[in-house]
Amino acid sequence: MKRILSSVAWLAIALLGAGALGAIAIHRGEPLNAMWFVIAALCCYLVAFRLYSAFVAAKVLALDDTRATPAERHDDGRDFVPTNKWVLFGHHFAAIAGPGPLVGPTLAAQFGYLPGTLWLIAGAAFGGCVQDFVILFCSIRRDGKSLGQMAREEVSERGGFIAQLAVLAIMVILLAVIALVVVNALKSSPWATFTLAMTIPIALLLGVYLRFVRPGRVLEASIMGVALIIFVVVAGQWVADSPYWSHVFTLSGLGLTAAIIIYGFSASALPVWLLLAPRDYLSAFIKAGAIFSLAAGILLVRPQVLMPPLTRFIDGTGPVFAGKIFPFCFITIACGAVSGFHSLISSGTTPKMILREGHARFIGYGAMLLESFVGVMAMVAACAMTPGVYFAINSPPSIVGATADAGAATISSWGYPLQPETMTNLAHAVGEITLWNRAGGAPSLAVGMAQIFSNTIGGPRLLSIWYHFAIMFEALFILTVLDAGTRVGRFMVQELGGRIWAPFGRRGWMPGILLSSAIIVAMWGYFLYQGVIDPLGGINSLWPLFGIGNQLLAAVALVVATTILLKMGRLRWIWVTLVPTVWLVIVTMTASYQKIFDPSPRLGFLANANELAQQIAAGKIAAAKMVDTQRLIFNLRLDAAVTAIFACMVLVLVVEAIFQWYSILSRRREAILHESPYIATRWAKDFSGAAHDAAVGDAMGDD
Amino acid sequence: MRKVAKRTRRFLLRFWRGLREWCGDAAYESYLRSKAVHGASCRTLNEAEFYVEQLNRRYSRPNRCC
Repeated sequence: MKRILSSVAWLAIALLGAGALGAIAIHRGEPLNAMWFVIAALCCYLVAFRLYSAFVAAKVLALDDTRATPAERHDDGRDFVPTNKWVLFGHHFAAIAGPGPLVGPTLAAQFGYLPGTLWLIAGAAFGGCVQDFVILFCSIRRDGKSLGQMAREEVSERGGFIAQLAVLAIMVILLAVIALVVVNALKSSPWATFTLAMTIPIALLLGVYLRFVRPGRVLEASIMGVALIIFVVVAGQWVADSPYWSHVFTLSGLGLTAAIIIYGFSASALPVWLLLAPRDYLSAFIKAGAIFSLAAGILLVRPQVLMPPLTRFIDGTGPVFAGKIFPFCFITIACGAVSGFHSLISSGTTPKMILREGHARFIGYGAMLLESFVGVMAMVAACAMTPGVYFAINSPPSIVGATADAGAATISSWGYPLQPETMTNLAHAVGEITLWNRAGGAPSLAVGMAQIFSNTIGGPRLLSIWYHFAIMFEALFILTVLDAGTRVGRFMVQELGGRIWAPFGRRGWMPGILLSSAIIVAMWGYFLYQGVIDPLGGINSLWPLFGIGNQLLAAVALVVATTILLKMGRLRWIWVTLVPTVWLVIVTMTASYQKIFDPSPRLGFLANANELAQQIAAGKIAAAKMVDTQRLIFNLRLDAAVTAIFACMVLVLVVEAIFQWYSILSRRREAILHESPYIATRWAKDFSGAAHDAAVGDAMGDD
Repeated sequence: MRKVAKRTRRFLLRFWRGLREWCGDAAYESYLRSKAVHGASCRTLNEAEFYVEQLNRRYSRPNRCC
């Protein structure tokens, strides 16, 4: 009876999800309520988790709860710490959820709400979640080894080296593009700039408190920090109203670029306890609070989605970024659906803390589903504003025109009516000088979030506070990724440099720290600078480059996962990882080819460079702009080269893997798995925490 | 009623314990417990040393994603 009831309930959830998806897909005309998106996403996630992840866990991976995990075998209270599954879920989610699932869907909204929403749901269920789950499982079975180490052992030496190089290269582009998002969000905004600048002294204060006053008391320090941050968000209004301070905190794009580069260098070179770690604590609490509030706000306000399901820009002529719906929708929405970077977390801290193998399904697959839901909420927030406003915020002046009248006329001519006063009033309402040409996704998402929040609490009076809270929230955790990434990049540079000159590889050697920090900051700083001076807004070239890199890393992770499944003798279920791998390789190779060779100057890097070179040759460029134009040509060729290098690295790894697969399938090579030997767990099958509590104290909660 | 109060209290206690573990407040306690059980030979770090050492390890590998 219970089983029948359960089946009926799951059937009802599946039908409800299918109905909501159908409504989203076929609805035309009147605006659609956001609740349809929430229902469709939640039902699909529930069904995917209940059925598909259970299938992967039971049939494909055959998770074994009798096997001791690395956390049990190597428990040292430092890296290897057996952790309650809910706590670890929180850790894992906080680690994987960055700005990507917020910014990507917001940018992809230029195609309309439909393609992005469908990809967020399907891409996560069949691609991103599977990748995170399988890589987590593989790492658990290998004592928590990293993706690079697994690639080296299971695919080939060269494969491992390529994976490590790919991580470094993609990290450089990632840091540049997220820094660009911050620059575009803070440009000419004294309120937002002041708020974010104040988070640095607040973090320093917390750092000193946590180091010397109350070591390790993160919770109380974070509560103090969050209170101070809320205060500076409100105080930012006084700064914006003061003619003197407003002038001090009004920075241009290049000014902000310099400030962020100096900040990145400092965060990398200073002791980690002083700036980086306390900022991370603040960011984690504010991130959790803001995401929860956005979900609650959408459920309470139930906004109408004003963006059409498909816009005219599916043909590749979009103002936010160039490129057709295929492949660029799948490149732009990176982290909300499939993110290669997650494989670094799934093969990093999480496998060392997991209590038993069975938890990998909930943590690996479940956390990614939640991240995808964040992406759907970002899509709703972006699509809940008038399409004309969305395009005005996200389009560069070179496309819509430099003045408000010209911009409004251009956007209206696309079929999305917009009055210049609408933007003026909106900017005034959110406490900004202007909202025109703020490409990058962050300001438009902040407007969407502020509208939802102010409809929940405070009404129009609090719109400006909510807007700057949203900007601060986005910028704060983007900078957290930036400083943590710069530091990790510094270690990678030191490791590579240490192969050439040993002292450089020593982590505590100050000249090495300073030099390696300068190298990694110079690498991403250059791409950031290039994005800031790009007449097309920078996001047009850098975000697709980041998307390509991230998806290529996902392809690397899935190639490793497929090789391991093959070696485990799971040929029958190989499609679980092989199909997303093939899809990602097709998407990324197509996008790479188009970004390099497409004849349209807006899309193809080389076509754009050649067009500018021809203009110089024809004498159409003024002497004053000659240096800038030549630099632009160099940058475009550099972007083409970086894209080609990404694509080549992955092609080499794929060829290596195919050779491996062929050798194994044709029995020319023995399938040697590099798993840790089986050791039975000390904890009973029906473990509920009690056995572990007895063994190591009462730290664990119930299972 | 008493049963409900007991359950609520248990839930809140668990939530509090989970929150402390999630944010890192309980890390030193876990370390000491692990030390006591496994009896590793190296010197036991004090709270401030453990805090700095733990941060240096945590932020030397990718721990925040895009």
